Amino acid sequence: MGMYIFRRLLGLIPMLFLITVAVFLMMHAAPGNAFDAILNPGIKDMAALQQRLIESAGLNKPLWWQYVHWLTQFVQGNWGYSFTQHQLVIRLIGPALENTLLLAVMAEMMTLSMGIPVGILQARNPYGKFDYGVSIISFVLFSVPYFILAIFLIYFFAIDLKFFPAQGAVGTGPGAGSFLDHVYHAFLPALAMALVGTTVYSRYTRGTMLDVRHEDYVRTAFAKGLSGSLVFRKHVLRNAMIPIVTQFGYDIGGMVGGTVILEGLFSYQGMGLLTINAVNDRDYPVLMATSLLFAVGVLFGNLVADILYAVVDPRIRYN
Amino acid sequence: MTTHKFPVEVAALTRVRIDKSPMRLASERFMDNKVALVSMIVLLLIILVSVGAPLLTHFNPNVQNLSNTDAPPSALHLLGTNSEGMDYLSRDLYGGQRDLLIGFSDTIIVLWIGIVLGGIAGYSGGWVDSLVMRVCDFMFNFPFLLLIIILSSIFNTTGVGLLITVIGLTGWPGVTRLIRGLFLNLRQAEFVLAAKMAGAGDLRIIFKHMIPNIMGTLVVTATFQMASIISAEAALSVIGFGVQPPTPTWGNVLSGALDYFTLRTEPWAWLPPALLITLTILCINFIGDGLRDAFDPISSASLKCLPGNSHLQ
Repeated sequence: MGMYIFRRLLGLIPMLFLITVAVFLMMHAAPGNAFDAILNPGIKDMAALQQRLIESAGLNKPLWWQYVHWLTQFVQGNWGYSFTQHQLVIRLIGPALENTLLLAVMAEMMTLSMGIPVGILQARNPYGKFDYGVSIISFVLFSVPYFILAIFLIYFFAIDLKFFPAQGAVGTGPGAGSFLDHVYHAFLPALAMALVGTTVYSRYTRGTMLDVRHEDYVRTAFAKGLSGSLVFRKHVLRNAMIPIVTQFGYDIGGMVGGTVILEGLFSYQGMGLLTINAVNDRDYPVLMATSLLFAVGVLFGNLVADILYAVVDPRIRYN
Repeated sequence: MTTHKFPVEVAALTRVRIDKSPMRLASERFMDNKVALVSMIVLLLIILVSVGAPLLTHFNPNVQNLSNTDAPPSALHLLGTNSEGMDYLSRDLYGGQRDLLIGFSDTIIVLWIGIVLGGIAGYSGGWVDSLVMRVCDFMFNFPFLLLIIILSSIFNTTGVGLLITVIGLTGWPGVTRLIRGLFLNLRQAEFVLAAKMAGAGDLRIIFKHMIPNIMGTLVVTATFQMASIISAEAALSVIGFGVQPPTPTWGNVLSGALDYFTLRTEPWAWLPPALLITLTILCINFIGDGLRDAFDPISSASLKCLPGNSHLQ
């Protein structure tokens, strides 16, 4: 297993390299640069200033030189300096990543704590009233795009009832920036994500549990005279969790990059908003860093899913 | 008793098989599905009012009227006007034209790329297959939204045509992988081997024997694709990378009404586009679900499976 993980990790390197090359080339293909939009009537010779800035950022050098320069600096831990926000990239990424991960983890916790129990309840009495009711609600909820769900949540819980803030990742006044403040701000976007995620998990749980119910070992367990709830807990539930754990691994992959739209909608200062702004400002160093982290997130999630799969299901062996 | 009934059943089955083509049987099963049928009617209505927008409203959706901005609903402007005095109703209706155009054309583009690439990969196998699959893997690992955002900024997406291109260029890997899998399975099927033995060429086998067999899956995939593309259009507008105003789409009519003030005081601004997007996607998904049941009655238990995850999540 250790060897397998090691090989997989090595396999990630060429993929990440390709992704950074692709982002780099596409980014430079976009028209304009970070210094086009400077607006300051106090500056007399704008063209000269822009020229100086472009030179200091290395944007006048050939593309391959810029890429090699970025890569060598990046692997040494120097992630560069933002063109427009006058900050080290790493200082921008740190808090943004924290916010995004908080949002994603909260959403995932809500999803799991709602989706799996609902799915189990559905599977206990399939084709009953509860099952059909939940199935129909799930289908409708799944069809509503989650950002539209979020708009309704903002309208009811932030604007009408004023329970939660409609914008931002931190508040103002005393207590701003505390952990609870962050949780409070992340609640609505997390709920919007979780409502959709819940439908996926409840359907998934229900389906796998119904599949497992007809397996031979379940019949054997009943034949041994075990009680219904014991069979359910120890035999059905455990085996039904196998595909769900795998799905959880893929969710991890989406944690860094899966909240871009909600962050845009809520002006939530996370990786998504940072990326959107970096694309708009042509802030190359920030964009390279965020896109690399998105890609690492996806690849890491896939790896975790494969490993989890082998951990929960001893029949699977990688070698 | 079973043996007694058996010949009758066989006779009944054979008669059905002779009478009706699989397509005909599927469409009959679809017509029996009430939810899908109602969704079909609602979707047709949405298409009708969007396409027939010039007949339903005489306001040009792109014309400003700065003397009548942020007007509440009235007899003249049924859904009021926006901050530039453009009529919301006409923007919603004309917006539907763009959304449906984007949905239909991108579905066709994505399916077309999927059939060509996935078909070639699945049919020929070997190094072509692994090349196509590596490219798909790369696209899957590439953060999808990032790709679409950067592409939009490269092309400076302002028009509908460019957005269609961008979504079409990024949406194909999932469909390609699916179709490749289908072709890979069919390649070993007896009827394909029989066709090969009879001397049929590759193109004939693909178009006359394989494609008709995956037609059901293709149609179902197409509906779910269309739903996710319409959702993608609106999502991109919300973060500012969709079609730029004044050209109306549901997405940018919605995103233009998302400031605190408008959300709180002017529900007529954001509610109609939000509901139109939701209703359209819901109808398409119900139709897709109905089609899946119709084409594949064995594995179907209505609502058992929800549509495939939209690629924005």
